[in-house]
Amino acid sequence: MTSSTELKMTVYSSLFVALIAIGAFISIPIGPVPIVLQNMFVLLASIILGPLWGLASVAVYLVIGLAGLPVFAGGTSGIGKLFGPTGGYLLGYLPCVFITASISKGLGKKMSSDIIAMLIGSLIVYAAGVPWLKVVTSMTFQKALAVGMVPFLIGDALKILAAAFIAKTLRPVVKL
Amino acid sequence: MAEITPFTYRPGDSILHLLDTRLKFFIISLVNISMLPAGFISTGFYFFMLLFFFKKTGLRFFSMLSNMKFFLILLVFVFLARAFTITGDTVFSSFGVTVSNQGLAEGGMVAFKFFLIMLTGIIFSATTKPSSVKTAVQWFLKPVPFVPEKRVAVMISLALCFMPVILRQAKEVSDAQKARCAHLQKNPIRKTIGIVLPLLKKTFLSADNLILAMESRCYSDDRTDPEFNPSGKERGFFFGSIAVSICLILF
Repeated sequence: MTSSTELKMTVYSSLFVALIAIGAFISIPIGPVPIVLQNMFVLLASIILGPLWGLASVAVYLVIGLAGLPVFAGGTSGIGKLFGPTGGYLLGYLPCVFITASISKGLGKKMSSDIIAMLIGSLIVYAAGVPWLKVVTSMTFQKALAVGMVPFLIGDALKILAAAFIAKTLRPVVKL
Repeated sequence: MAEITPFTYRPGDSILHLLDTRLKFFIISLVNISMLPAGFISTGFYFFMLLFFFKKTGLRFFSMLSNMKFFLILLVFVFLARAFTITGDTVFSSFGVTVSNQGLAEGGMVAFKFFLIMLTGIIFSATTKPSSVKTAVQWFLKPVPFVPEKRVAVMISLALCFMPVILRQAKEVSDAQKARCAHLQKNPIRKTIGIVLPLLKKTFLSADNLILAMESRCYSDDRTDPEFNPSGKERGFFFGSIAVSICLILF
């Protein structure tokens, strides 16, 4: 990788760190509950930046949240958040972004492959988040699923479809 | 949305502004961990301490709250989720939903703790320059093997600069869409794309301009390491934070 490409990737990755961090602020009113764009930006980071730089973006996002800047959902931050009910979702972003990017790259960065990759990525986040929620809150597994996964599935499906279209339009602009 | 955000640094000369950023990181981590087992008395005490620091640093508490409305709504959801899922002595029950005394108490406590963590983060980012955050992170990451601490520090610094720009651009895009009656659009996917795509195009354009500017200045990771300027009050804050965290754990 040339130094120019490396600089470009550093800046784009930082841009995605900022997008993921403020994704909780950008809400789109759909129905009674607005949807927030944080996890959509995580998925977009993976399919636009690729496995390593996507992973770097999410890792830096977690570092600034752990360092104390209020970038986690609900304006929270700090190392205590990782031990809380949503810590599993946050840590789940790391394998999610790497695997989503690898699948998308392996399948040829087409819209259909992006959708498959992002579906798998979202499931990875839930696979890390729901058991963590169950353990931390001592809920039953059914209740953890009902509280920590089921209400978000429709919103996630909408975000994945929108992200696939956005990635298709954005790739020629970004020229990576 | 873009005027005041939790990420905005506000210049000042209060003691918190002058405190070494590395110590601020330590205090935040310590307090956040101690907050987990904290009880009602100690969290109440910590809340009043935060109010004192809000006043000391010149931040307006209520105007900050009005800018954080969306996050406060999320806290209400956290409270309701706990109130409805924790079983105990029934307060009321209807349409298959049961609310217990224990659920209300625990829901209130969890939401209050999240609120305190949010306030702590706001004070931290309002009193800490993005360049100091970068410097401190670089210092902490230096001993960690396989982590390019300078690159990570640059990414943090750039991300902190991008945040207000993106928020401003998001507001511009949202206003432009409203002016074109886009808010009447019923299709949720089109609605999301209508906001996110122009926003991303704008932000990538800003990023491209920044890359050009950095390249033209021969930017590289190999730069002089930054220096720290401790205020001299660090020792007091260090022991004070340990005392507060012991209080949080015990009471």
